[in-house]
Amino acid sequence: MDAAASATSLDLDRHLARAGSPAASFARLWQSLWVQPYVTPALLEMCRLTLARLHQDERELAAPNPHVEPGTLTGERLRIVLAGGTLKSPLFSPAEKAVLLFTECYGLDPQSIADDVADAVKDHLGEPGLVFLIEALGCIDGRIRTARCLRDLARLVPGWEGADVR
Amino acid sequence: MSAKPRASAPPTLTGNTIRDSALGRVPETLGEIVALNAAVWQRSLVSPTLLEVIRLRNARTVNCVYCKAVRYEVARADGLSEARAAMIDENYAASALSEREKLAVALADAYLGFPAGVTAQLAARLAREFSPEQIASLFVALMTFNFTSRTAVSIGGMPEDPLPVMLLPVSATSA
Repeated sequence: MDAAASATSLDLDRHLARAGSPAASFARLWQSLWVQPYVTPALLEMCRLTLARLHQDERELAAPNPHVEPGTLTGERLRIVLAGGTLKSPLFSPAEKAVLLFTECYGLDPQSIADDVADAVKDHLGEPGLVFLIEALGCIDGRIRTARCLRDLARLVPGWEGADVR
Repeated sequence: MSAKPRASAPPTLTGNTIRDSALGRVPETLGEIVALNAAVWQRSLVSPTLLEVIRLRNARTVNCVYCKAVRYEVARADGLSEARAAMIDENYAASALSEREKLAVALADAYLGFPAGVTAQLAARLAREFSPEQIASLFVALMTFNFTSRTAVSIGGMPEDPLPVMLLPVSATSA
């Protein structure tokens, strides 16, 4: 099967590499999201899964994230994230709930984010942390969207496989 | 949309639009975001006009007041006049935009849909008109424009009324 037919946000860069230096730059930005001081990889992964759930993207939901240490997000917590139940669960900290509520609002429409929702994130992450989270959500959301489009193109355009860069 | 800015600009201004925005508060990503914007405008595999077409389509869909007002000089020099930019609206398919420009709008709409997705008809038209390299280039540009405009909206403090058109050199966002 064409590799692009199974593309997700997590392996998108190799499918876009033939776009040249802009794609390489986007790939570096993506990598930098997982090594910064504001949001742990585990929490960022919960954000990715939340956006994937909003996009109803089963392939994205099933993709293992190499940036997250195995065992970090498993069991009941993972099940609750996938079910969209984090905000009512005692298994999630106030900081996690603030970030995930912001993510839900962002995923639906950034214009819909209420000031108190943003303020709650700022209380936990600080102002640079809020800005970082917004950047990261934009990158993740865009990559989910692009991966979906690439999967369609791989399915619909004969010979698209040759467009893959490995 | 919140009229209240949720993050402030860095204390020291540089003259670079991105560095001087709230994005300047995150040094871990700032340099690469500036580099990405430069790479998109200077080394994409499609024309500046096509980049500006998808940037404006995205800006109008996301409703980023700043992004809607900006015009990149390099696209204006490439032939995207204000009259042609105005055609990137709901009636674009019947406009005087070129086939490639209309396809770029359609690709942006496919990306911006919820859920995103490409129809069989659009896929066939794209494959006839663009190489896989150019389509990949358009997606990288779309992601760049989309995440920066959504960032601007999310940070808040945006005016509700339209701003006058502002011509911007690529150097203002890439130096």
